[in-house]
Amino acid sequence: MAYDRWSRRDLMGAAALLALVVGVPTATVMLSTQDAADAPSDRQRAMIAAVSDHVLPTTDTPGAGQVGTGDFVILALAHGLDGTRAPAATGALSFAGAGQRRPDGSLRYLDWLEQALDTAARGDWLGMAPAARAKILATLDAAAFAQGADAHPWRKLKGLILTGYYTSQVGGSDELSYELTPGRFDPAVPLKAGMRGYSSDWTAVDFG
Amino acid sequence: MANDTHFDAIVVGSGITGGWAAKELTEAGLKVLLLERGRMIEHQTDYKTELKAPWEMPFRGAGDAARYEKQFPVQMLNRHFTEFTENHFVNDAENPYQKVADTDFNWFRSYQLGGRSLTWGRQSYRWSDYDFGANKRDGHGTDWPIRYADVAPWYDKVEEFIGVSGAAEGLRQLPDGKFQPPMALNVVEQALRERIAKQWPDRCLTIGRTANLTQEKPGRALCQNRSICARGCSYGAYFSTQSSTLPAAKATGNLTLITDAVVERVDYDPKTKRVTGVRWIDTKTKDRHTATARVVFLNAGAFNSVHLLLNSADAAMPNGLANSSGVLGTHIMDHANTLSAAALMPGFEAWTTFGNRPTGVIIPRYRNLDTMDGAGHSRGFSFQGGALQSGWTRGKREAGIGADYKESLQPPGMWRVVLVGFADCVPRASNRLTLDRANVDANGLPQLKVQFAFGAEENAALAQAKADAAEMLTHAGGQVIMGFDRPGAGGTAIHEMGGARMGFDPATSVLNQWSQAHDAANLFVTDGAQMSSSACQNPSLTYMALTARACAHAVSLIRSGAI
Repeated sequence: MAYDRWSRRDLMGAAALLALVVGVPTATVMLSTQDAADAPSDRQRAMIAAVSDHVLPTTDTPGAGQVGTGDFVILALAHGLDGTRAPAATGALSFAGAGQRRPDGSLRYLDWLEQALDTAARGDWLGMAPAARAKILATLDAAAFAQGADAHPWRKLKGLILTGYYTSQVGGSDELSYELTPGRFDPAVPLKAGMRGYSSDWTAVDFG
Repeated sequence: MANDTHFDAIVVGSGITGGWAAKELTEAGLKVLLLERGRMIEHQTDYKTELKAPWEMPFRGAGDAARYEKQFPVQMLNRHFTEFTENHFVNDAENPYQKVADTDFNWFRSYQLGGRSLTWGRQSYRWSDYDFGANKRDGHGTDWPIRYADVAPWYDKVEEFIGVSGAAEGLRQLPDGKFQPPMALNVVEQALRERIAKQWPDRCLTIGRTANLTQEKPGRALCQNRSICARGCSYGAYFSTQSSTLPAAKATGNLTLITDAVVERVDYDPKTKRVTGVRWIDTKTKDRHTATARVVFLNAGAFNSVHLLLNSADAAMPNGLANSSGVLGTHIMDHANTLSAAALMPGFEAWTTFGNRPTGVIIPRYRNLDTMDGAGHSRGFSFQGGALQSGWTRGKREAGIGADYKESLQPPGMWRVVLVGFADCVPRASNRLTLDRANVDANGLPQLKVQFAFGAEENAALAQAKADAAEMLTHAGGQVIMGFDRPGAGGTAIHEMGGARMGFDPATSVLNQWSQAHDAANLFVTDGAQMSSSACQNPSLTYMALTARACAHAVSLIRSGAI
């Protein structure tokens, strides 16, 4: 569904989401289980929002930044989704400094991201022009998915960005299709150009 | 003690078999007390997350991993455990169990009205004489005192009531049933079926036989192809206690249902050699109650029924109720299963599907039937799985950022096939349950201790399953990307069974051919605990059939005055 074909209700919903993201101070997305040391800084919060939008930008549907994916990643990291509070794999050490590891061996992913991007930018990544930021992020992404880089911390962050976006209403039901109650099963449907997969295909989500 | 009450029958547990016992006994005119340890879950109105979208959930359906690690470290390993379904699984922290050293066993449980009937996989298969004759044939365990012909009419009855969709295939090892119309194989599975059959005529890939309705039943609507069954289904489209057996039992006017009532022991009178009733604890108030009855059915789930018998030991039966043989708690089993093969399936890029079919496919056992061709094992394995397309989550494994990357994740992805091997688990005396009196639960009852390990038979079967799966998928045009030949932890199949096995000889078995205790003629155990072997297909349909059969027997004994 193209963004310009949204219903008024959908638009209001998106606007509400946007307001939620823009209008909420960092402190309110901190969680009770978070140690003070784990709370993201305002800069880190802005950074993960910007990073998520570079991964999944606005096209004919809103991008990840617009639907608050960055805050979902912060929530997810605070609660250890996708194993992010488990001791990081040994291989992750080659990508992350000792200061980015907690005593329990898990990584402080946002600390790592901030340092990785600023180092690559030789300065303030967040302050760079969007094209320059995207180039640096693309280089980081390529390195993380190169052979032998399975433990790269970026993989976890990217995974959470995808989860945040495609489980949002925009990502799940506009960028992709969503049908909770299909009512039937068609076993062989010709796949045509432009068809969008179903975020409600739970088997695909589980085993995709 | 308070509120002593008398019934014709007491049924302990309201899951798949307890619901059946309640239905059959009440329909026979008996006044039945059904005790459920867990909380009330009303059909439809209590399926709170059924209609929720991921964006309506605090953690988008994935759930709070930090909380799960503390409260649900075992249950969270279940594929069906999500933020949508967590209320249908036990809190592990509040319901602990023990394992002996070196035992790796995950006990998946649902303590609530309906038990695991709300969360089960719904796969419904008959067992054959290859299964009921397995112990006699190879000498493991003790011979079943029943054969297929004894159970067949009860399979008919159960299938017609619960509604099982499936395709008749005429296989001796997986007998056909009273099926509703089958769900369809998808385009890839249909090709796989044909390609495998052409090369191996004795290997039949067929649609899973599942307790999801493809024809309406009274009070139950057609399956909507949502595949979110474990959230609870307001359509009543899959078999559960709530959708099916409980309404039937309630309609008789003969049912008394009490939830939040954990039974701590079954009382036994050594003078009459009969059980007299049960003692139960109100888990909310901790008040203790008794109830008496002419007959008691244990349907607490295999391990908890064994727990109850062990905990009912007294001076007359110091090793546990109905345990004069000493085998109570022994010979527990669970299917050995693993991902035998996953393969990419090129050539179907022009196709997709619509709807979420709530079943996969099965390739029934083909080894060790009339020819003993198992490599190092004497029983069988089967495969379950299916062909599926990847979704957006494939992006987690792929490089790329930006608009092109986002666009690449729009269409359904590559087709792949997964085959999960389920191997028959040999009954062994060393795999057993005991009570750990040093560790008690919140009700002051001793915790269950599990001792379990798979052995050479299961490992050999899964090794052959891996090789066969790879060979079949490669032949069918697939590119195998992974496969395993070692079972997951015990309990992974969620088919834990045995512990109060059936047998001919009271000296070596707990139950007779009617699921009736050798030591107490008015005590029946008709859940998974009664199983003497495991077969390699899902057991719930057989539990139900044996329950209905045992109920008819109990009713005839009551009517004749024998009990």
